Amino acid sequence: MSASDDQTAVERVLAGEIAAFEQIVRRWQGPLVNLAYRFCRDRDRAEEMAQEAFLRAYRTLDRWRKDAKFSTWLFALATNLYRSELQRIPAATVSLEDVAEQRDLRPIDGGLEDEDRDRFVRRAVSALPPKYRDVLILFYFHDMDVAAAALGLGLPEGTVKARLSRGREILRSKLQRLLATPRMEEGL
Amino acid sequence: MRHDDLDRTLSGEEDIVPSSGFVTGVMDAVRREASTPRPIPFPWKWALPGLAAWTFVLVSFLIAVFTQISRGAMAPSIVASPTLLTILAGAKSVGVGWMALALLMSFASVKLSTRLIGGRT
Repeated sequence: MSASDDQTAVERVLAGEIAAFEQIVRRWQGPLVNLAYRFCRDRDRAEEMAQEAFLRAYRTLDRWRKDAKFSTWLFALATNLYRSELQRIPAATVSLEDVAEQRDLRPIDGGLEDEDRDRFVRRAVSALPPKYRDVLILFYFHDMDVAAAALGLGLPEGTVKARLSRGREILRSKLQRLLATPRMEEGL
Repeated sequence: MRHDDLDRTLSGEEDIVPSSGFVTGVMDAVRREASTPRPIPFPWKWALPGLAAWTFVLVSFLIAVFTQISRGAMAPSIVASPTLLTILAGAKSVGVGWMALALLMSFASVKLSTRLIGGRT
């Protein structure tokens, strides 16, 4: 399914053929659920949020101006919704210090359980202040494309770059503190 | 942790797969939505000219009253009483006209909101 197929499906839905919306849902369910998951880190909630995004898209389909790609419009709509949802009911996040303590993710010999560490880093992104968290989520979701992240957030590219840089810096300093010291060194 | 490590970790996240009933669930919700009649939007197109005219009349009236008071050009029959003149001067000094305008606007917006809410239920 291509961008022109999206447009055809939208036109059919607007003409009253509700079933045509299923094509849109089938095509975009993966990206929308995954984007929601990166915001809330909860599978069930991600599906609920993505469903709400599709419903909102259905309600406002006539507002899609065809000068932008359908996907750009859909992602911007979904991002907006996910951000407000998280503002309304924040994701259940445990403090990073607690996670680090419970699982002791620090390396024994300088190496680290990669999977655990990756999960920890993603949790750390969720715990960032929203303006940095959103930019980081969108940036990495769109394969490190600043322009796409900016479109999704409705922000100028310069602002996105600045927040990205600051967000990474906060993240790096937090992680450095929690992950960098090898456990063996403590006993020495 | 270096930027490269961050990039690798955050861009290399594996995707989750939506559950098998996801599309059906969304389409059911969409069909329910489609079968529910849409709420009738407030007829701004018709209401706006009336509201604008009303505001214009009110503001013009108040401006006229202020001008008359400040020039002291009220009809002799109205301003004949020195007590009334004192009251008018006092009212002018504390800005009663603006207060009245603010009160009227507040009253109008409360009435309008109540009417809009009443129309929905």
